[in-house]
Amino acid sequence: MLAVRSLLLRIFLSFWLIIVITIGTAGVAGFLYAERMREAIESFEIGDSMLGASAALEAGGRKGLTDWLRRNRTSRAITIFVLDERGHDLLDRRVPFGLTRVFRRHREHLHRHQFGDRDPRNLRRSRPQPLLVAANGSIYTFFVSPSRASHSVWTMADARWLLFAIALLVSGIVSYFLATTISRPVRKLRDATVALAGGDLDVRVAESVGKRRDELGMLGRDFDSMAENLQQASARQTELSRNISHELRSPLARMRVAVELARQKNANMPELERLDNETERLDDLIGQILSYTKLDASPDTDPEPTDLADLIHEVVENVNYECKAEGIDGVSVVAQINASPVTLGHAGAMISAIENIVRNAVHHSPPGSEVTIHLSKDDESALIEIRDGGPGVDEEDLHRLFEPFFRTRESVASKNERGSGLGLAIAERAVRINGGTISAHNHPDGGLLVRISLPL
Amino acid sequence: MTDMPKTARVLLIDDDQDLGLMLSDFLAMDRLHVTVCNTGEEGIDTFAADDFDILILDIMLPGMSGLEVLKKIRQGSQVPVIMLTARGDDIDRIIGLEFGADDYLPKPFNPRELLARIKAILRRAQPRETETRHWKLGDIEVDTRTRRATVNGKLMQLTGTEFEILRSLLETPGEVVSKEQLSERALGRRLLPYDRSIDTHISNLRGKLERAGNKNETIQNQRGVGYLLIPGC
Repeated sequence: MLAVRSLLLRIFLSFWLIIVITIGTAGVAGFLYAERMREAIESFEIGDSMLGASAALEAGGRKGLTDWLRRNRTSRAITIFVLDERGHDLLDRRVPFGLTRVFRRHREHLHRHQFGDRDPRNLRRSRPQPLLVAANGSIYTFFVSPSRASHSVWTMADARWLLFAIALLVSGIVSYFLATTISRPVRKLRDATVALAGGDLDVRVAESVGKRRDELGMLGRDFDSMAENLQQASARQTELSRNISHELRSPLARMRVAVELARQKNANMPELERLDNETERLDDLIGQILSYTKLDASPDTDPEPTDLADLIHEVVENVNYECKAEGIDGVSVVAQINASPVTLGHAGAMISAIENIVRNAVHHSPPGSEVTIHLSKDDESALIEIRDGGPGVDEEDLHRLFEPFFRTRESVASKNERGSGLGLAIAERAVRINGGTISAHNHPDGGLLVRISLPL
Repeated sequence: MTDMPKTARVLLIDDDQDLGLMLSDFLAMDRLHVTVCNTGEEGIDTFAADDFDILILDIMLPGMSGLEVLKKIRQGSQVPVIMLTARGDDIDRIIGLEFGADDYLPKPFNPRELLARIKAILRRAQPRETETRHWKLGDIEVDTRTRRATVNGKLMQLTGTEFEILRSLLETPGEVVSKEQLSERALGRRLLPYDRSIDTHISNLRGKLERAGNKNETIQNQRGVGYLLIPGC
C-alpha cells in the first residue's frame, strides 16, 4: 500500500476505494450498455423492414406478416416484435416488460387521440411507434428491441453478473488487506496483554507492533511504556521489601547476641528463652519474605535438568528430620514414586516449593495420619500430588490458599500459628518460575490435595 | 598445638561495630579472645600482623567484599574460616566455600550456634591421643600429628576441613563414608538440610589432589550415600 500511515485514513480510503470502484464500474457498465443499445437501435433502419412487412401483410394477411416476422425477427443486435391490438406478439414470444408498458401507453394515447383528447401533456408521454394497419382494420405495432441473445454487446444480465463479480473481488481484496493490517497487530497486542496479565513483565511489542506508524503502532508503544512502568514499579517494590528485610536483619542479629549476653548473666529468666524464640521466628519470617521477593525477580541461575524423584526423596528425608527436631510426632511423610521424570528447572526453587507444601501439610495433619507425595508423569508433564491427613479447606478458600499471609477460617479459629503464612505463596511462585502450575483441591476421601504440574 | 589453647584468638571481620563488641563480650565468656575489624582492608592488615586461630568473616562487607578478603587470606594461610552469609544467598555461600571457607552461618545467627561451630573447628585441630598418626594410600600420605598431607612427598596446602575429609576417607579406603559422618568429623556439626558444603569441600580437595600430581586415587561420589576413596591399581 502507499505511505498510508494512519489507520483512520487507511480504513477511510479502503471503504472509499471499494465504493468508488463499485459505483464507477456500475456507472461505466451501464453507460457502455446504454451506448451500445442506442447505437444498435439507431443504426437499424426500421423503414426498410416496414416495406417488406407491409408487402407481406398485404399479400398474406396476418399469416403473411407472421411468416415475414419469422424470417426477419432478428437482425444483428436487434429483435423485432410485432404486437396485435391485445399486445400479443405474432410469434407468441414473451414480450419484454418495457415494451408492454410502451405498447399500453401507446395504445391509450391512440385511444385518447381518437376521442379528441389533445392535451399536450398526454401527447408528450408517448413516442410514435411504426405500425401497420391491415385491410381488415387490425393494427400491428412494431417494436424494435435490443437483442437478448446478442454476442456483440453486453446484455443487462451479463453486466449485472460482471458488476457483482468486480464488486466481490475488489471489496474482498481491499477488505482482506484492511482486516489483516488491523487484526494481526491487534492479535499480537492481545497476546502481549495476556502475557503481561499472567505476570510476564518482560513482554514488549516494540519488535512486532511498535514499528508501525499508525494508531496501532502508537498503542503498541504505549503498551511498552506501560509494561516498562509496571516492571519498574514491581522491581522497586521487590527491591524495597528486600532492603527492608536486609535492614531488619542487622538489629535482629544484635538482638540475638544481646539476649545471649543477658542469658549468660542471668540464666534463669524464662522470658529470655521466649525472647530468643520470638527473635528466631522473626528471623524465619524475614527469611521467608526474602525468598518470596527473590522468587519474583528473574532467577540468577540457568535452569538445569532436575530429577524430581531424587528431589522428593530429599524433601521427605528433611521434613521427617525437621518433624523429629520440632517434636511433631505421629505424622509420617511418605513418597509414592511412580516415575522418575527429569524436568528442566531450578532445583532450589522446586525444593522450596515441595518442601513448603509438605511442611504445610504436616502442620495440618492430626497425629497418626499420613502425608503422601505422589509423583507420576504423562506425555507432557510431571505431576506431583501432595495430600495431607487434615480436614481440608473450605471450597471458597481453596483459590486463596496461595496468597501471601492468607489464613483459612480453620487456622484462624484454631490459632494455628505455625508457619509464616508465606509457605504456599512461595511454593506458587517457585512452581511458576519453573513454568508449571499449582492448584489446591479437597480430596474426595478427605484431606487437602495440592497438585503441581511441571512441563517435561 | 597439642593442648586446647587456654585462650583462642578470633579475628572477627564485620562492619557492624555494635555486633562486634557484643560478640566479643559473648565469646570472651568461653575464653575466646576476639579482635574486631570493621573493613576488609583493616582485617587483612590485622591478620597479617598477628596470629589467629580462627577467622569469622562477614561476606557482606562494604568496600572490599568478604569474598575478596577470603581470597587474599587463603593465598598465604590455611587458617579456619567461618563465613557469615545472608540467608538464602546461595551464590555467596557456594563461592565462599569454593574459595576455601571452612563453614558458613547465615546471619542473623544464634550466637550459641556460632560458639559451637568455633569450638568444633578448634577442637578438630587437636589430635586424639589414641589414633594412628600416619595414613598412606598409594601416593597420598597423611600425618595427623604434623597435620601434613603429601602426594609423592609433595606437600599440599589443605584447609583444616579438607584435611579432615581426606583423613576420614583414607581411614577406610574403598568404603563409603556418609556425608553425615564427613560433616561431623570435618566440621564438628550435623549435616543440615540441603547442605552442599561437604560436596564443595570434596570438589576443592579433588582439585588440590590433582594439582599435586595425584593420578591413581580418585574420590568417588556414591549418589545419595556419601564419598569413598578408590585406591589406584
